[in-house]
Formats: sequence, C-alpha cells, structure tokens
Amino acid sequence: MVTKELLSYILDIGELMLVNGAEVNRVEDSISRICKAYDAKRVDVFTITSSIVVSIQLKSGNTLTQTRRILSYSTDLDKLDRLNNLSHYVCSHTPEAEYIRNEIEKIRIRRKYGSVVQYLVYGMIAGTFTIFYGGDWNDAIVSAAIGMILKLAITFIQRVDKNVFFVNILCSFVVGMLGFLLVRIGIGHSFEKIAIGNIMLLIPGLALTNSIRDIISGDTIAGLLRLFEAILVALSISFGFGLVSVFVGGMLK
Amino acid sequence: MIHTYQIITAFMGSLGFSILFNIKGRKLGYAAFGGMLAWLIYLLGGLWLSGEMTQYFISSIIVTFYSEICARIEKTPATTFLTAAIIPLVPGRALYYTMSYAIDGKFGEFAEYGSYTVSIAVAIAAGIMVASSLFRVFLALRSYDYRHHSM
Repeated sequence: MVTKELLSYILDIGELMLVNGAEVNRVEDSISRICKAYDAKRVDVFTITSSIVVSIQLKSGNTLTQTRRILSYSTDLDKLDRLNNLSHYVCSHTPEAEYIRNEIEKIRIRRKYGSVVQYLVYGMIAGTFTIFYGGDWNDAIVSAAIGMILKLAITFIQRVDKNVFFVNILCSFVVGMLGFLLVRIGIGHSFEKIAIGNIMLLIPGLALTNSIRDIISGDTIAGLLRLFEAILVALSISFGFGLVSVFVGGMLK
Repeated sequence: MIHTYQIITAFMGSLGFSILFNIKGRKLGYAAFGGMLAWLIYLLGGLWLSGEMTQYFISSIIVTFYSEICARIEKTPATTFLTAAIIPLVPGRALYYTMSYAIDGKFGEFAEYGSYTVSIAVAIAAGIMVASSLFRVFLALRSYDYRHHSM
C-alpha cells in the first residue's frame, strides 16, 4: 500500500539517482518497479533531466501525484551504486517507509574523495590528456599545474555564482591566460596541447555521448535537453578561450 | 611510441575521471582498465578497419561488454564502469574545435567539425546501445535455457 509519505521517499530515491548520474530510463524504471512492488494498480512516471512526475492509481481507487524539480547534478557513481542496491532491496522486501528514509539518509551523507585528492586528480587528468593528444613532458607538467589551479578557480567561482555558462567562461579564460603566459615564458612548448588537456576537464564530451544515448533509447526530450546543455557548455568554454585571444591581441595563433 | 603513451595515459585519464566520479575501492581498477581497453581496441581497430567511425563503434561495443561483465562480477550497474571507461573515446577535443570555429566565424570548418563530432558521439552511443541490447538478449537466453534444463 503506497502512502503519501512512502511515495515521497520513492521519489527521493529517483531524484538522487538522477542527480548522481543515472540515465532517465533507469530512474523511470526503478520508480515504477518500486511502486508496483507496493501494489499500485497503475504507475505513470515521466522523467526529464530537470523534473520527475509520478502519478499512481491505488487499488482503493485513489490517485497520488507528486513531482520533483531537479536543479543541478553532479555525477557520483558510488551513491548511484548504493541507490541501485536500495531500490532492488525495496522491490523484493517492501520494507516500512521509515526504513527507506533511514537508508536514504545514510546514502546522502556518503562522502566524496578529500580535497587534496581532488586537486591532485585534476592535475593528473590535465597532464595525462596533454600527453594523450601528443604534448611533450614540459607541456604535461605545465598542464598539470594549470589543472590544479583550474580546480581552485572552479571552487572559488562556484561560491560566487553557480551559473554554468558563467563558471565555464571564467574557468576557460583562466586556463587560456595561464597557458598563454607559461608558453610565452618558455616553460611550456605548445599552447594548444596544454589547453586541450585542461579542456578535457571542462568539456561535456561525456554529456554529449550520453544525450545521444538517451535519444537512441527513446527518451527524446531528455536527450535533446542534455544535448543543448552540452552545446551551451562547449560554446561557453570556447567563448572563454576567445576572450583570451582578444586580450592578448591575436598572438595565440 | 605515441601509441604506447596513449594507452598508458588512457588508463590514467580514466582512473582520474573515476576518482572524480567517486568510484571506490576495487571498482576503480576495473574502470581504469576499461579506459585503457577502449583506446587499445580503437588503435588495434585502425589496423584492419576502414573508417574512424567503425573504430569508435567497435571499441564502444567491446567496452560495453566489458562493463556489463564487470558489473555482474561486482554487482553494480554497468554505468559505473562504462562512464569512466568511455572517457578516452569521447569527442572532447572535436567538440571544442567545433565551437571555437563557430566563435571565430569560420562556418565552413564549423559545419565540417560539427558533423565530425556528432558522428563520433553517434558511433559511440550506437555501439553502447547495440552491445547492451545484445547482452540483455544473451542474459534472457541463458535464463530461458536454465529454466528449461532445471525442469
């Protein structure tokens, strides 16, 4: 028997899944499976990247509808893994609402890697992709250093404004400017290779691929939304780099 | 030589993104190895496949199979491994060039690079979809087989 309270916890599971990087497909599937497990007569779930709507018909004839608005995501596959286990458990054991609430709380407070590790990883990714795309060791070291500064910039700028467009313009401006200066001084050799290593940290290549996956699997609206977000982010990054070349007066080329 | 570097850096790049995506414990190793596998297959594909898109397609098929198998071993969704392993294939650089051509006003190159970028993304996405559907068919067949033998 689904109560209002229980439905809101089920939506919590769905919301957290979506926020932490699940496909739209999986979210809809999990929510409707759980509701069916609790003896709902009919379940209608509609999910796009920014909203979840669930309407269920109970055996008693009543209808329950709840909706969630999703404002931001950050991929956290550890949480997604736990949520997936939780949803499987809920489907097969149909526990009390109280139990689900406690489990969701436990998942919510799971931590990410510490900030020192995050900084090092930013450096590592930027450095390795510089080599991946054909840079030499000097470029890799410069790129790794800029990668760490980029992480600092992201943390700082996000405290001021969370708008994705704004954050990306400023971040890529920082990367471009530093890259240009370090190549000018002579520490780095190729501006392009340094920039590309750092761009891999910002550019939504994965989001682009996932959006097309959504479209192919039938979630056209969600896919198109994600596609446009990806294009917008890519545009803002190249806009940031464009600003650099305005500042340095076309010396980039 | 560049290829050796690329395979090693593909491993490290995927490892890095796995950490950013908060994958923990043993799964980190699986995910990073998947990234290396992706690029290795891509490069090997270049030896006898004609066409870059086919390389991307085949590589993402194999990586998806790999992720599905790891997912069965580790009892976690395949997305966990797939997201990190697909990183070396993803068209980050092409997407960036496309947009910077748009900003420079070079619309000829923009169109060319744009369709190139979208083709890569479509090739990878199609590979993933094909492989995961095939895997589902395979699982269904296996459980069907199992049920009929146990009767």
